[in-house]
Amino acid sequence: MSGSGSGMSGSGTTTGQGSNPPIIQRKPKSMLPLIAGVVVVIIVVLGLGIGGYSAGWFKTASTSTTGSAGCTLPAQTSIVGTGSTLVAPLMDVWESFYWTGTVVNYNALGSSAGITAITGKTVDFGASDAPLNPAQRGAAAGVLEMPESAGGVVPIYNLPSTVYGTGQTHLNFNGTVLAAIFDRSITNWNSTALQALNPTAHLPNIGITPVHRSDGSGTTFIFTSFLSLDNQTWNQTWGKGTGWPTNISGEVGQAHNAGVAAYVVENADTIGYVDLNYALTSGTPVGVGAVQNPKGAYIVANVTDTASALTDSNVHLPAGNGDWYNVSLLNAPGAGDYPITSLTYLLFYQNLSKAYSSYTLANAENLVDFLHWVVTTGQSYSKPLFYVPLPTSITLADDVTINSVTFDGAVIPVCVPT
Amino acid sequence: MASSTPSSRLSFRRRFTKAFRGFREKGADRLFLGLVGGAGISVLLLALALVGVLYYTATPSIRAFGLRFLLGSTWNPAAGVYGVLPFVFGTLITGGVALLLAVPLALGASIFLTTQAPLWMRRPVGTAIELLAAVPSVIYGFWGIFVLEPFMRYSVEPQLRIYLGWTGLFDGTPIGTDVLTASVILAVMVVPTITAVSRDTLSAVPAAQKEAALSIGATEWEVTRHATIPYARAGIVGGIILGLGRAIGETMAVTMTIGNHDAIPTSLFSQGQTIASLIANELLSNTGPLQYSAILEAGLVLLGISLSVNAIARLLVWKVLRISRGIVE
Repeated sequence: MSGSGSGMSGSGTTTGQGSNPPIIQRKPKSMLPLIAGVVVVIIVVLGLGIGGYSAGWFKTASTSTTGSAGCTLPAQTSIVGTGSTLVAPLMDVWESFYWTGTVVNYNALGSSAGITAITGKTVDFGASDAPLNPAQRGAAAGVLEMPESAGGVVPIYNLPSTVYGTGQTHLNFNGTVLAAIFDRSITNWNSTALQALNPTAHLPNIGITPVHRSDGSGTTFIFTSFLSLDNQTWNQTWGKGTGWPTNISGEVGQAHNAGVAAYVVENADTIGYVDLNYALTSGTPVGVGAVQNPKGAYIVANVTDTASALTDSNVHLPAGNGDWYNVSLLNAPGAGDYPITSLTYLLFYQNLSKAYSSYTLANAENLVDFLHWVVTTGQSYSKPLFYVPLPTSITLADDVTINSVTFDGAVIPVCVPT
Repeated sequence: MASSTPSSRLSFRRRFTKAFRGFREKGADRLFLGLVGGAGISVLLLALALVGVLYYTATPSIRAFGLRFLLGSTWNPAAGVYGVLPFVFGTLITGGVALLLAVPLALGASIFLTTQAPLWMRRPVGTAIELLAAVPSVIYGFWGIFVLEPFMRYSVEPQLRIYLGWTGLFDGTPIGTDVLTASVILAVMVVPTITAVSRDTLSAVPAAQKEAALSIGATEWEVTRHATIPYARAGIVGGIILGLGRAIGETMAVTMTIGNHDAIPTSLFSQGQTIASLIANELLSNTGPLQYSAILEAGLVLLGISLSVNAIARLLVWKVLRISRGIVE
């Protein structure tokens, strides 16, 4: 028998058996109205939500539209960045304190991810501790590099405080010994080479577990650059790069600065390399190692000696669209300088309308305003987080780079909220 | 409805009408057929699109390396050399050891829940085990780093070295972050899946089977062993394969506990890398030429492994178990 119309209708009279009264089944209620109702409700709620969002019902930011010079403020947009975990703690603070209504969203996935993202134009800016090599600059044509901060990369280790000799608070390392530890030529804590640098220390006869970055990392770039400078074997075998050498066994790889720091904190007899901020905020039992600088002094990293490394290096800064691959603050010449200091860079496009087809003038203005803020007001947040505030010479050069950014062929107007 | 002569071919419309009953009716039934048929086809198309995009993006690497990719054991992005063998080994070893640890545990738990446990206990314990399957893998990873690794390093692995070191499987210094720990975490993650499926299959065994065994004088254990389990074998193997599928695809928990070393693991105490954790670590890396498409090609290899394992298991169930079931049909 053919079904009829919509819904399920079951007719249910059985053929009567003898004198039994016919069994009448109630028609089962149709499910269609129920389903239709649910769908309608969902559509209405979604529609209200999406429509409301577009109409700005959910915005909480400031609503003034004129700036200090009577100019028109850009509409609030969002800025997305990806990259370096070295600078991530500082970026987090910048995200919170840059409050003009435009939201900055930073994902710390590693410097390589930052370079990949800005090359693929999926983010407004990338952050990388490793400057672009010529191949990467070719792939990301039109990208500008601008240092927004500087930090130190320090060796951290997990040993009980009983290893220290009297009056000692940290172990001494130099580039040669670090390279030997990380390429597994030295496998025990009480090896001769390490004991020689720490004559009064009671180093245990336990194996060292080196921890490196398993993802593409600017911190690895800085650290391997330093090892290459100080140790010819390392330089010839592996050189420098964002990827850790793959054929060294007996080491552990962890992702991101935070992962390496957490692993060293949790596991005894390990040694890793992280940014200074992570080293000083990880707490005991993490020890921060002192590294020997070219003048022979063993320097424990802090804001002062990384800052002096920056100024003493006296680096010549290329233009924003130039080649930064050879800019290095490593092994700075001063007597009290920390040898493993490095600039960290923001990457963004010079011609914004050409790079991003969906960009509006408001997007461009907000990005440029954020970059200006980072190199001016943002620098005041660096010191408490153990990053180096950039000196005037670098911030002036950065300003030139930011002012070279164009949208639709014209310089981007600056309008500051009152 | 039928054709006029038996030997003439039915027109497409006729055959379509015969196959899809909903098409015969007008109006709403046809709409219903259209909607659900569309949904079914969309799912298939999505799966094909997934594989298609993977293949398309991996083409540069496939063309550059060919078979060397599958057989090479060096993965060195800086030098532009890519071989996926270390990760295939890592995936299979961690999956295999995980199953070795998980299957007895899960089977034991499901047999306990369906035969021995008092009725009031069955539902809560069963639910609790299934809830374990809902825990996100990152949480397992954290638990692995903070609890399991120290435990393995200081309590378990030294003992294994002492008592089982002669097997050669436990060479190298145990540091807690190695293939073995990753396998243990995978085992913990996979137990709920296998238990849930086995429990369902075992409880679906008809009472007649057990009664027949009991009636010829079998003990409880013999009933389970000879009547219940053989009947449910196909389902149990299916559950195990589901578990294996989860194990070889698991990313976060593995990458936190396996040590991320791109070489073939030579012992259970070596650090290693699975294909899934390789992708998690290096997909955005860009530290060498062709790295992106090489990693996606590794993803294709993982897909191939998972499909092959599935196919082998189904063949096993179909050919071997059906035949040997005999009177337990």
